[in-house]
Amino acid sequence: MVNELKSSRLDAAEKSVAQNKKLIFTIISYLAILAIFVNLNNIKSPLVGLIASAFFFVINAIFLGHAFLENEILFFRFTFGVLLLVMLLGFVGWLIMIIYNLDIIEFTLVLVITTTLSSLLNRRMKHKSASQ
Amino acid sequence: MQVSNPKSSKLLLIGELLYIFLAVLSLYLLAASRTAAAHTVWQALHPAFIPTLFVATSLLLTILFTCEKTTHKLILIIAYSILIHSLFFMIFPAGDSSGQQMVLGRTRLVFDNTVLHGLSGWPTASVQVFIVEAFKGTNLQAALTTIFARMLCIDIFYVHLFFIPILWGVFIPIATFLTTKTISGNESTAILASLLVAAFPYTVYFGAISVPNSLGFIFFFYSVYFMLKHLSGSDSKTGYLMVVFSLFSFLSHYLTGIMSFSILLLTVTLKTYGSEKRSSSTDARILLTISFLLSASLLPLSFIYLKYFSTSTNPVFTLDKLYELPLQEIIGQFLIGDLTYSFDFKTVLLNIIGSFIALLWMTCLLVRLKRDPDAKSRTQILFLFVAFLIIVIDYGITKVFMEGLPLNVERLWVLRDFTAVPFVALAVCAVVSSLQAFLKAEPPKTIYVAGLKALPKRNFLWILTLILTVNIAIPALVAGWTTLSLTAAYPQLAPLQTTSYELEAAKYIEANTHEKYVVIGNIWTIYAGEVIVGINNPRAYYFGEYNKTGYDLFINMIQNPSPQWMLQAMNYTNTRVAYFIITEPRLGTEEFNSTVSKASQNDLPVYATFGNGKLYIFCYEK
Repeated sequence: MVNELKSSRLDAAEKSVAQNKKLIFTIISYLAILAIFVNLNNIKSPLVGLIASAFFFVINAIFLGHAFLENEILFFRFTFGVLLLVMLLGFVGWLIMIIYNLDIIEFTLVLVITTTLSSLLNRRMKHKSASQ
Repeated sequence: MQVSNPKSSKLLLIGELLYIFLAVLSLYLLAASRTAAAHTVWQALHPAFIPTLFVATSLLLTILFTCEKTTHKLILIIAYSILIHSLFFMIFPAGDSSGQQMVLGRTRLVFDNTVLHGLSGWPTASVQVFIVEAFKGTNLQAALTTIFARMLCIDIFYVHLFFIPILWGVFIPIATFLTTKTISGNESTAILASLLVAAFPYTVYFGAISVPNSLGFIFFFYSVYFMLKHLSGSDSKTGYLMVVFSLFSFLSHYLTGIMSFSILLLTVTLKTYGSEKRSSSTDARILLTISFLLSASLLPLSFIYLKYFSTSTNPVFTLDKLYELPLQEIIGQFLIGDLTYSFDFKTVLLNIIGSFIALLWMTCLLVRLKRDPDAKSRTQILFLFVAFLIIVIDYGITKVFMEGLPLNVERLWVLRDFTAVPFVALAVCAVVSSLQAFLKAEPPKTIYVAGLKALPKRNFLWILTLILTVNIAIPALVAGWTTLSLTAAYPQLAPLQTTSYELEAAKYIEANTHEKYVVIGNIWTIYAGEVIVGINNPRAYYFGEYNKTGYDLFINMIQNPSPQWMLQAMNYTNTRVAYFIITEPRLGTEEFNSTVSKASQNDLPVYATFGNGKLYIFCYEK
């Protein structure tokens, strides 16, 4: 019973992130990127990096998981979202590294592009499934 | 499915807590095994680790047979998977030597912004060369680990060592679960498969080292899953995803990428075959045969064309082995490769037993399914069987009929094992089901042990036998197999791994030199140096692992340690300070002492010593 309650709460939380009303979670993700950037330049704390990265990862993994595996259960949707996010980060990072390099500015650019793409993909798939 | 009985639920909770305790204890034992210098993990491993892991695996298997939620079971398996892939980075100071340290040596250049335009840099000989270099897997992994290191604000050294074991530990059990569930439709079998993937030694080994090939294996496995999904449905998303994963597999490593595309071709043909076989059965069969031949020849042919992109390799087809080797050795090479020459029967058995069981079970299933052509998962089983055959054939061709390959093709065994593991789980589950049928008893639920007293007396012996077999014998056997596989996965013989004092020496030089410097040392010094400052770094120069100039300078220094060679190294690398490093365990005591005394005779000052005098650094400035 307790497990079911927890699971439904998690489901609801994940759905609200995926719905991304008024782009609130995209903005939170951009703020997480800002925190990572400031941390890299000034604070240099792994703890701050871990917390900001966790926000970035959870939000964008939910976006991507929802975009591609809407019909799977929460666990698989989320883990698959994480894998897709790793791939997207890798691809954008690889491309920018080949074009120039991956210093702090370019790295931040990779995160911004990834968040924007995840958010766009999530919205596009949502509209697609709504129209079907 | 939920556990309805509160008593059983309590027992299950106790079992899970005990498992978590054992997993944490195993992790602690690994941390306690960390050593400054060792050849293999087995030299340093705490003696209680393997027994603890065996008990934890047995308990985990017992939990898998209960009605606990699938996601909870998967989380427990993921914890187990991360644990068994952590031996290298937990025990050795810089992980496993060679491959992953070479990758880190190059990745550090990206992390420290020493190179532009990827690892090959720009300009290159031509645009074509640049494109080929850009698509090398090291670039993708370098980009990924650099991104993670920057996100977490920690040094790339740690991110690199943890990267594949964590990624593999999380995503491979899930991929195994999803693949097995797609072909069996049964969650219990799929859960068992996600644990059994740890019983394949080569798979465990590649999950423990951070090299681009391992990253490629992960993407390959997901591409196989989406191919299976594509075969069973018409969702366009799965079609896109199988192509995307194949592309990423290629971007990570050409071996996994080419195998992924071979199997992708097979998927497309099988899908066409499914729709065309009713209208034109002969055409469909011819198409399937051509596709099979093309898929099987893609890898050997791609090796031949590799020489046009990379000048360092020259793979060719040859019949030399066929003429030179006796028949039994040729068959041995075709089936088990270099294990033919292994005298350790246990290692040979552990490497082939899983695939052998899988092959038997695949054949058995296909024979059964022949009677039922409209069976639901027939195409998927046929697909995995053909994929398995393609991998085995490709291995045989490259092993027996090719020479000058740029890598050891035993890596294909990981792909073979991925396609085999669902069938091993199906076979184990079939044995359990047969036992149930034979004993005409209840399904195997460990937690029902507590209810044994309530059974009628005449069934007591049968049920007790069932419980002992299903709850003790089978978990103990499978847990024993999985644990024993670790002994074949992690090498029993190896050179001395990078020691902590070699790392300390490289760090010390880096921290205390404010000018451009070059280090002359053997390959082990280079491994230690490159994980700290990167390879061929113009500011802190370590010669490439196979650089002839670097090697010659080291040999000259050993024979006659004088400033002459160090000046030559400085002029060659445009640096102002040169260091010469020697280590006693690498050189041998006699040669080490002789070099030290010759250096003092030539007025070459000792800069620092590490490891209680096991490592000497000599310095000379322009």
